[in-house]
Amino acid sequence: MAKIIVVTSGKGGVGKTTSAAAIATGLAFKGHKTVVIDFDVGLRNLDLIMGCERRVVYDLINVIQGEAGLNQALIRDKRVENLHILPASQTRDKDALTIEGVERVLDTLSEDFDYIVCDSPAGIERGAQLAMYFADEAVVVTNPEVSSVRDSDRMLGLLSSKTRRAEQGQEPIKEHLLITRYSPDRVTSGDMLNLDDIREILAIPLIGLIPESEAVLRASNQGVPVTHDQQSDAGQAYSDTVDRLLGEDKPLRFHEQQKRGFLSRMFGGGRR
Amino acid sequence: MSLELDAEQVAFTFKGGMLPLTVIELASGNIERIEAQLSGKISQSPAFFQHTPVVIGLERLPDEPLALDQLCAMLRRHRLLPVAVRGGNDAIKQSAWALGIGWFPPQEGRAQPVVEPVPVAPLPEEAPPLELRSGRIFRGTVRSGQQVSAPRGDLVVVGAVNAGAEILAAGSIHVYGPLRGRALAGIHGDQDAAVFCHELDAELLSVAGNYKRLEDIPPDLLGKSVQVRMVEDQLEISAFEPLRV
Ligand SMILES: Nc1ncnc2c1ncn2[C@@H]1O[C@H](COP(=O)(O)OP(=O)(O)OP(=O)(O)O)[C@@H](O)[C@H]1O
Ligand SMILES: [Mg+2]
Repeated sequence: MAKIIVVTSGKGGVGKTTSAAAIATGLAFKGHKTVVIDFDVGLRNLDLIMGCERRVVYDLINVIQGEAGLNQALIRDKRVENLHILPASQTRDKDALTIEGVERVLDTLSEDFDYIVCDSPAGIERGAQLAMYFADEAVVVTNPEVSSVRDSDRMLGLLSSKTRRAEQGQEPIKEHLLITRYSPDRVTSGDMLNLDDIREILAIPLIGLIPESEAVLRASNQGVPVTHDQQSDAGQAYSDTVDRLLGEDKPLRFHEQQKRGFLSRMFGGGRR
Repeated sequence: MSLELDAEQVAFTFKGGMLPLTVIELASGNIERIEAQLSGKISQSPAFFQHTPVVIGLERLPDEPLALDQLCAMLRRHRLLPVAVRGGNDAIKQSAWALGIGWFPPQEGRAQPVVEPVPVAPLPEEAPPLELRSGRIFRGTVRSGQQVSAPRGDLVVVGAVNAGAEILAAGSIHVYGPLRGRALAGIHGDQDAAVFCHELDAELLSVAGNYKRLEDIPPDLLGKSVQVRMVEDQLEISAFEPLRV
């Protein structure tokens, strides 16, 4: 039986797709058979970030509507063993996603995979609710700003009521807070909320903190999830996150303002 | 057709119920005056005047003539639904029935038991006494978009009430944690209700429809442990003084 993890946020553009790709990649690196599913029907971003956009033939909706088999739609990652991508459709109508269809796909995938990572669309509508409905765990992606924290709070409310686990009175979804695009400098200058404030408001365990990083941009332009870039701060932070998801105890990094050394001050270098 | 026609398939059953109802206890029979006061209340808390059923209480003016039909029409214009009259003389009783609403005998003070039972079936035997189950304790975080209410008693929240969340109670509200959302106590008009919280950062505070928005709250009270109550018809927020030893 696979563990189903939804990556969600409410607010758009906070780093859900980046995180879903990075976490799925990290899980596969650790030897777990993983599939990452794009629920963002109509936008289709995950395949770009995973660098497999040219290999898409069939998608989630084709499978749900019975036009293709799962094996035809699943794309095998070229870089990491054990990693598969189930893309979304760019052309189809969102309404083609049905709860029964999603359940069938997840049930089938559950037999073969250890982890199913669901990349949720933004918002709190149908698409986002379908992405979270069958989840066992949720990674709530939050940026250090008031509106993002507010939306994550809203999402946590929905996770505790609008999911199969909640509706059937089973053990609640395990919720994890993932703070992304964190910039200690901007927190210190007061432009952004600090870590403790976010944790206090959302009141769920922190699974990771990803710094604002150029490595993420570079990675998404190259179509290589940032977890591959273990030289980078963001890549390391995502690896830590995956380790914690797997139950390891890892100290928090990248949350404090960097004390710049003499050389980097001289040459204006920052973290890369 | 189905094979069995047993008791499960009756078209209805009578159920006992105790529903929370707002009573508009009139101190005057002058409809214009009532309307003027009502307009003020409604603009303060429009959410509580959305086809809310109300009972017109006439205990305080038993023998005054009253244009019940006009009163009901005015209430309906303001999105209140008069469902019954309580008290008043025989003429009032007759005109209530003519208007298609119910009539209850007057309630004479709390201590005295009501002589005639009100036409509501008694509570089922297994139900605990009303006092024991009217309040509510909520443990955890009330999150943005969530609403927690105690429509018949006090509400206690052991945890935080986040911005965008709303908590409501017929009685008082106690929050053992930060109050960042909206808190409305005395939603059926109880002026003695109050809001208590450990850390004030509320978007809205209301007691019996009298409210203050975050903007109206004196900044020096923010973050403090406070009580919010009606003092001489004004909503008053006061910080609990730290204990001096
Ligand atoms: N840690 C980071 N540092 C810098 N940029 C980042 C970081 N995380 C995400 N971004 C950038 O933010 C943008 C949005 O990221 P992403 O597409 O992952 O968000 P999303 O939540 O999936 O958006 P949507 O709601 O549209 O699906 C992208 O341009 C991405 O490169
Ligand atoms: Mg996305």
